[in-house]
Amino acid sequence: MPPLDIILAGFADALTLWGLLFVIVGVVIGQIVGAIPGIGPIMAMAIAIPFTFTLDPLFAISFLVGINKGGLFGAAVPAILMNTPGTPDAAATALDGYPLARSGKPYKALRIALFSSVTGDTASDIVLILAAAPLALLALQAGPVEVLALLIFAFAVVSGLVGRSLIKGLIATAAGLLLATVGLDPEQGSPRFDFGFFELYDGVSLVAVAVGMLAFAEILRRLALGWTAREVARPAAAPQTGGPADRRVSLAEYLSCWRELVRGALIGIGVGALPGLGSTAAAFMSYAATKKSDPGPVPWGQGNLRGIAATEAANSAVVGANLIPLLGIGIPGSIAAALLISAFMIHGIQPGPLLFETQARLIYGLFGAMLMANLCNLIVGQASLRLWAWVVRAPETLILPAALLACIVGVYLSSGGLFGVWIMLMAAVLSLVMTATGFPVIVFIIAFFLGERFERSLSQSLVILNGDPLALRDHPVALLLLVASGAVAVWMRR
Amino acid sequence: MKRLISAALGLALMAAPALADWAPDGPISLWIGFGAGGETDTLGRLLASEMSETTGWDIVVENRPGGGGMAMFTQLSVAEADGQTLGMGVTMPVLVNLTVRPDEVPFTLDSFDYLGTVALAQVGIIAPADAPYDTLSELVTWSQENGGALVGFDARPQELLMRFVDAETGAGFRLVSMESSAEGLQNVLGGHVQAAFTAGVHIPSMEAGDVKMIASANAQRHSYAPDVSTVQEQGYDIFVDPWFYVAAPAGLPEDAATALADAMRAALDSETMTEVIERTMNTEPGDAGPAETREMLDAGLENAARLFAN
Repeated sequence: MPPLDIILAGFADALTLWGLLFVIVGVVIGQIVGAIPGIGPIMAMAIAIPFTFTLDPLFAISFLVGINKGGLFGAAVPAILMNTPGTPDAAATALDGYPLARSGKPYKALRIALFSSVTGDTASDIVLILAAAPLALLALQAGPVEVLALLIFAFAVVSGLVGRSLIKGLIATAAGLLLATVGLDPEQGSPRFDFGFFELYDGVSLVAVAVGMLAFAEILRRLALGWTAREVARPAAAPQTGGPADRRVSLAEYLSCWRELVRGALIGIGVGALPGLGSTAAAFMSYAATKKSDPGPVPWGQGNLRGIAATEAANSAVVGANLIPLLGIGIPGSIAAALLISAFMIHGIQPGPLLFETQARLIYGLFGAMLMANLCNLIVGQASLRLWAWVVRAPETLILPAALLACIVGVYLSSGGLFGVWIMLMAAVLSLVMTATGFPVIVFIIAFFLGERFERSLSQSLVILNGDPLALRDHPVALLLLVASGAVAVWMRR
Repeated sequence: MKRLISAALGLALMAAPALADWAPDGPISLWIGFGAGGETDTLGRLLASEMSETTGWDIVVENRPGGGGMAMFTQLSVAEADGQTLGMGVTMPVLVNLTVRPDEVPFTLDSFDYLGTVALAQVGIIAPADAPYDTLSELVTWSQENGGALVGFDARPQELLMRFVDAETGAGFRLVSMESSAEGLQNVLGGHVQAAFTAGVHIPSMEAGDVKMIASANAQRHSYAPDVSTVQEQGYDIFVDPWFYVAAPAGLPEDAATALADAMRAALDSETMTEVIERTMNTEPGDAGPAETREMLDAGLENAARLFAN
């Protein structure tokens, strides 16, 4: 660890009026783009990077970190209020968040999500600040074989967790993996299932599928309902009812979630430290662990505060932990982290093992900015949840078409044209069919998201193990995870 | 006041044609053949903002990802050749596809007019610092003695280069496909593979003494590691040279082609771009103009044919 005066100087650099301003603007932008389906913080960061070139490096990076952190809470807002997650990261939050909002307590649902998000984020930032370098070295020990075993474990957990039957969950997983095989294969580079479309060479667009299946399908479903019900002025989300206790989250209520918060933060940090797994899987794994405990008075999936706490703490904890491999060894743990690397690099800073020696002051400035961003997220979030709740009180006839338009524009922009919009429409139809037949949509999406990584780990492992299953003996952690996957599947069988 | 404005307007009108004979009729789209956040995207967005600053043109960057730029070039080949639609991509995936499946690719090198190169990606082969081999040739020997070395790669031409070496030496390499240079570095640092191809991401780890470079896979040695010889210098007649370049649909009006190429050259020569390319790619901006870029692509196609002959 560098000398204390450098650490303090770094923090002092961040905690200035200008620093605060950039972080606040970043958080506000992040919360807005996170809440609009189809755009998301990743795209906002990519667009913002060239504009940050003329800024001071610390302000530039603080601004981007603000967008990233704001985006994660922003995504939870539509998930809770309208069951249409802004990004897949918040899909798990909708499981308990939406029922709670529907029961007339949208403010309470949003607040617990905000508090849990900030808690998970802060915990993860503190771990990052205290132990980035050693944790990064530890994460290096996980090679392709271990990652493959971890992915299988994640599939087992998620298949068993969501939906009514394990078998249907496994079928959805297999279907998601199958969709992920579209595009150039990672081994030979030959196109698969492309039907002559060059647009499919890199696979089916993740954004188009996620927005189509999660947001677009839900909007279509509601439009159809509204059509048949012939109600004109129905509000888009249930209004707040009840007294002040139904608006607020009391300290006792917050503390009653402590197990979920701690467990969620730990899962998020673990998943975040390993490059490439992502916060969606972390949120669901945390929810799975929580769901096995006693729910108390409110059953799981019907508006349980602890369910929201578990998912939001986990998905937000991934963000800070994603920087562990970035700052520790210069390897990005996610797309957002890769964008931060390019922001570092255009300012002439090469992330890597020497970063703490050569740029200690900047790094501690970044840490200061991250903590400040968490605080801003809390304050801006408190203010904006009123705004959001007010927005969705508008009639459905106004909100739903606007949301549809946002989906189409967002997908058009991020997937490069109308082709992505068609994919989104097909994904929405698939989602409606799956829901009607009892197949869990989110399991399909997680498998699809991790499919590429799964296939690559599998092909890497086969080369490394030389095709010999007995070679697994040299990989005890992987072996343990594989056994655990089988056990989890049996344990969670319904 | 009015007179001042009209005088300024008159001056501006007179000055404009002196700068360039051609001006776009509305915004120019610069299509990026990759998703947001990659090297191509970062370079492209900076190039666009630098070009708009020096020329005053509106340049809008659009990501058109798919197939390492193939989706974008396919659309570009049928776009209107009015100089208002440009595309930025990387040579290697285009050349590989034109070599391997020319019948399926709906364009040829003739489908485009070329504006110039932006930068060269420097690709190196790295190994853990304490590995018992210091060069590719020594890795070959190690591999022969230890039942096949695991080598990570993240692009098809790199794999072909290793297969070429393997065919010549019987090294028995076991090639592991990686998503990116970063994943290759991670696997070298974690000791999961014996060597890997990486493009620049390894430099800090090299400075920290965690990894070493055993060869440059380009035709030249790398500016930051002048002591490390190329694969060619070590006796294997093969290399990979991925260039970032900008193209337009074929049939560009001559004045537009000149104006665009000049604007791009001016932007690349600016201090900002030189600095950014030096920082992100560890190299200077590419200096090939329209004709040289085309020649380089023709030569690259021949090199790709050689890579795939094995």
